[in-house]
Amino acid sequence: MHRFLRLSILLISLFAASSFAADATQAVKMTEDSLGPLVEQPIEFPHFRHAGDVNKEHPEKGGMQIDCMYCHTFARRSAVAGIPPLQKCIGCHQSIESVRETPRIKKLFEYWEGSKDGKIAAKSPIPWKKVHDLPDFVRFNHERHIKRFVFQQNRPVQEACGYCHGDVKTMTVARRSKTLSMGFCVDCHKKDHLVSAEGGTAIGNQAYWYGFKKPVVNASAPLTAKGPNDCWQCHK
Amino acid sequence: MSVSNLLENWAEFRHTHPVDDVPHDPYKWAMSIDLDACTGCNACSVACYAENNLPVVGKEKFLHGQSMHWMRIERYWDEDGRDFPDQGAQFLPMMCQQCEAAPCETVCPVGATNHTPDGLNSQIYNRCVGSRYCSANCPFKVRYFNWYDYPTTDNVWPAEMSQQLNPDVTVRGKGVMEKCTFCVQRLTSAKNTAKNEGRIVHDGEVQTACQQACPPGAISFGNLVDADSKVFKQWKAQHVEIAEFEQAKDRGEQDNKLRGYRILEELRSYPSVMYLERVRETAV
Amino acid sequence: MIAGNAISDRAKDFPKNFAKGFVMMDSSFDRRDFLKVLGWGGATVALTGCGFTSVEDGKETVVSYVEATDFMVPSIGVYYNSTCAQCDAGCSINGRVREGRVLKLEGNPASAINRGKLCGLGQAGVQHHYNPDRVREPLLRNGEKGEAITWEKAYALIAEKLQGVSGEEIAFLTGAMSGHTKVLLENYLASFGCKNHFAYEAIAPGVVRAANKKAYGVAMPRFNISKAKLVLSFGADFLGSWVSPVHFSQQYGQFRKGADGQRGVLVQVESKMTLTGANADRWLVVRPGTEGILALGLVNALGTASGDVAAAVKDYDRARVSKDTGVSVEQIDKLVALLKSHSPSLVLAGSAAEGYAHGSQNAAAINLLNQVLGNVGKTVVGPVSVPFPQMSPVVGNTAALANVSDALDAGKYKVMFSCGVNPVFSAPTAMKFQEHFAKVGFKVAFAHYLDETALQADLVLPLDSALEDWGTSVPEYMAGDDAQINIQQPLMERLHANTRGFGDILLALLKQRNPESYKNYTDYYAYLRGAVLQNKNALGGSGADDDEFWDASLSNGIFKLAGSVANLSGSISAGSLSLPNAPVADAQYPLHLIPSVNANLRDGRNANQPWLQESPDPLTTIVWDSWVEIHPKKAAELGIVEGDIVEVAGKNGSIKAQAYLFPGIHPDAISVPLGRGHEAMGRYAKGFGVNPFHILDAVFDKETGELAMHETRVKVSKTGQRVIVVKDEGAAGGKQMGKKIAVRLNTDHVDLSKEV
Repeated sequence: MHRFLRLSILLISLFAASSFAADATQAVKMTEDSLGPLVEQPIEFPHFRHAGDVNKEHPEKGGMQIDCMYCHTFARRSAVAGIPPLQKCIGCHQSIESVRETPRIKKLFEYWEGSKDGKIAAKSPIPWKKVHDLPDFVRFNHERHIKRFVFQQNRPVQEACGYCHGDVKTMTVARRSKTLSMGFCVDCHKKDHLVSAEGGTAIGNQAYWYGFKKPVVNASAPLTAKGPNDCWQCHK
Repeated sequence: MSVSNLLENWAEFRHTHPVDDVPHDPYKWAMSIDLDACTGCNACSVACYAENNLPVVGKEKFLHGQSMHWMRIERYWDEDGRDFPDQGAQFLPMMCQQCEAAPCETVCPVGATNHTPDGLNSQIYNRCVGSRYCSANCPFKVRYFNWYDYPTTDNVWPAEMSQQLNPDVTVRGKGVMEKCTFCVQRLTSAKNTAKNEGRIVHDGEVQTACQQACPPGAISFGNLVDADSKVFKQWKAQHVEIAEFEQAKDRGEQDNKLRGYRILEELRSYPSVMYLERVRETAV
Repeated sequence: MIAGNAISDRAKDFPKNFAKGFVMMDSSFDRRDFLKVLGWGGATVALTGCGFTSVEDGKETVVSYVEATDFMVPSIGVYYNSTCAQCDAGCSINGRVREGRVLKLEGNPASAINRGKLCGLGQAGVQHHYNPDRVREPLLRNGEKGEAITWEKAYALIAEKLQGVSGEEIAFLTGAMSGHTKVLLENYLASFGCKNHFAYEAIAPGVVRAANKKAYGVAMPRFNISKAKLVLSFGADFLGSWVSPVHFSQQYGQFRKGADGQRGVLVQVESKMTLTGANADRWLVVRPGTEGILALGLVNALGTASGDVAAAVKDYDRARVSKDTGVSVEQIDKLVALLKSHSPSLVLAGSAAEGYAHGSQNAAAINLLNQVLGNVGKTVVGPVSVPFPQMSPVVGNTAALANVSDALDAGKYKVMFSCGVNPVFSAPTAMKFQEHFAKVGFKVAFAHYLDETALQADLVLPLDSALEDWGTSVPEYMAGDDAQINIQQPLMERLHANTRGFGDILLALLKQRNPESYKNYTDYYAYLRGAVLQNKNALGGSGADDDEFWDASLSNGIFKLAGSVANLSGSISAGSLSLPNAPVADAQYPLHLIPSVNANLRDGRNANQPWLQESPDPLTTIVWDSWVEIHPKKAAELGIVEGDIVEVAGKNGSIKAQAYLFPGIHPDAISVPLGRGHEAMGRYAKGFGVNPFHILDAVFDKETGELAMHETRVKVSKTGQRVIVVKDEGAAGGKQMGKKIAVRLNTDHVDLSKEV
């Protein structure tokens, strides 16, 4: 009897909890700017030197305004932006004598030429740590976003990348500066960046199915949907 | 979702087919399987394991009915008491039928399984809480539940084997339901390519893993909205309408020399898979 | 979580993409280097410790390319063509490679054999490659254990053991072989003057090859299933495991649709239903061993033969044939009528017909039927031969095993090599192979896994997987109008640093013998590339740049050459045909044992691939275990129900397995599938099921000396134990419960003409 009671209490409280969740119309807001952990990388890569703005007074402190996609070249043609191949780093740095003997560049060349103590073999990949990690069940496509913002709308690359990655050009080692949670994605897709639906239907609101209510089809209204509208667009 | 809404609209919902008023556009993925060509060889099933990161559960769990084959071959014998099955066996590849009015969707307490605009029945692992109502309500019994955390179970994916896992497909953990997705990762990718080129996906551009492997080519897959697609032509030739729960030939309005049918159509779940009946020679 | 875990794009138009990528590659940078520069070498992040919801910034390592070419984009699959090595059919595969790992195999559409299709066995090729139980180091026997040694030491040891040994005292046992490895192997053996190369395949159409050679003049003609209006198959499981099943299945799909709208009819004659039998329009169950009698009965009933053929079949009237085979007169009449109306037809002799002491006679009778029907030249056509005879296949058979076993018994060999075969597992105990094998002074096994044979060896040399190795092969069954040489190329870098390709090992051994001739070849890759470029003109690359031709060849995965088509002999002769009478009942061992060949497990070499273990047998739906198929009537007679553990006992031992009541078998026969029952070979193979190879009687076909696999007689008794059969029949026990689930129509109720 006791046991039975306990079970029903549990069930009731579960039900209460779920109905509470269902009633809450406002999703819990996460702060848009929440910093990820400081990540220790094998080489402390100075993003600000590469991508940062030119400092006319102290050129050695400023950046070189290199386009993000010069190194993260895969972003425009693949789902993942990718880490540049080691070859790319070496390609420039073998002809930049001025910094050749700095500690970080010496480290870099160890991965290319092999370290003197033999711990790093020649041409081994640098074991970078992941800074922006998404769960396995999320499908995010860099290509689509770059195509839209940079190539269709001609927005500055650093701005477009910055929507999710923050102001990387001011950072040394990159640090996650947005939550990259589902709320973060949806917020943006709802508010600022309307996506026009390609098809001719407004079936988009999947709530139609879920709520058993047919959407009011307004033939004269422009066919726009706010971002991807089926779960499989972003989940896998 | 509210209970009152459900009660009020239930009858209407069950009897009205979604595509009546909201047609799919530009995609409605559908399949047709020719049972006369199907040999029951299981190539499709193994291909599905390879593509979709299905765990091999082992003998004991298989015995408990916990196998995870999204695509399975059902085998039937004639039940007429002959000594020998001298007209062979009947094989039926069975996977999620991607019903238009899917019984699984309506019972999910958390909305983890939904309908997509291109006519698929999606399963969202991170939303699933494992109530298994969907599986209970599925007439085809094609939903599979993760009773165990297979990624950490011994010998399911030992270190070397985990390198084979397809990164485009989630590796499911314990407590979630899964099922055939019509290889949605391939569809997404094909749609992305098409979008880059400003067009829709052509027929034949995307194949499901089972279709690609099938040695006798029994499986066709494609876009039912596209009148040039093979699947569209096959459905049309067989006079099988997706929005009907009883086809013209069943009502006697067509000659019955057609082979197309959908399984358990009378339940009004409007499956997206059409089967073509097996044929046997009369003269021998 | 896997590195680069976001969703990828698939390179859909792979051949174009691939070729493009290839041409753009720096030409100093060949395919082998390409694999090196990936820089992945096993650095991929393991799955362990990463739940599917985890987000761990800063913890996971993301591995990048060291050097990348233009077509290498993370998350986008690149496809490489190679050749499937799971069986000998020679299907071309197309492997999807992403971030340095091979993920999935598809069929290569350009191959005339499989035309883009791939069977379950082929799909599981990745599990051969990633198998956790692969041998990783050369192992030297030390008592009961194997000690890891270096390759230098292994080679030195082989040289030492071969010191002072003559060519006659060395034997090399392999499976079927072709291509450049075969050339190297023959060169190696020739360097000793050794003629003892034995090609053994536990399941091979050895008798049928000999019968074909007699009837048609070639061992393996082409069978045009898609062009036949009727296929009459005597136990040839061409949809499951016979000769080139993916090719035949692909043809079968067309055959059912019909070349000119007339749907092809399939009739299967056998004692135990195979997958092909299960797809037949009519499955005719015959008494085991009487296939030839039925064939001659049909020749007689057709009434078109004359001369010595008519004389040879005159005794086979319908009444007698019906009595001997158990097929009703009415059914014979129907079949004859169908054979007359459906021309051209195609008659196939398969493993069920050849597996008897009179197997050659059976096969000859069946081929005679084909000739009498006038199918030769229409549905049985000449094969195309490759213009490089030195590369053409050495086909395997069981006669080779008998020969080698006898020679071993006589103590002829001091050093023996084995590669790609597992005779300790697949030889009948009655042949005492293991005992004879033990007499060899030094046994070297080339192995992927520690299988039963490798465990007997003194030195085990670990081989690269088929997806890591280089090679070429020539299929025995040449399906297309062009001759085809298949290329095998690595789909990824070596998984384990210390495995070696078979070609590389042979080359190293050849260098021991003949350093001068091979000094220019640093490795097998160099040899292969050299050999291909040397014959560039003949291989269709006349005038092409070497590098470009090589790259294009690898990109295609196949060399297609115009070969000469063999003419089939036109003479019809009953020759020395003399079929024995129908077998008499054996009081002590009343049942025929039919060892059945499952499409996935075959002779058991792939039994350690878990997808195959868990893939249900199509007919019984049983997984992970062996079973004894027994007709329900017979079972009732013996009081056996499903799941009873029964003992199957013959003259040469017994096995115990679960009983499965199976309607598709002759009541005087039982059937146990081959392939399971391993005592070694790793976690997925060891301890699952029983091995019927071991209880086979050592009876051989009288003409060819092939093992007569179906000649074993047994008795079945209950042990009193019972288990639940682990099978996949579904909740309703494989019943349709009156619903329209899997439905069948008769041809007079269907109109196929309007179908798409």
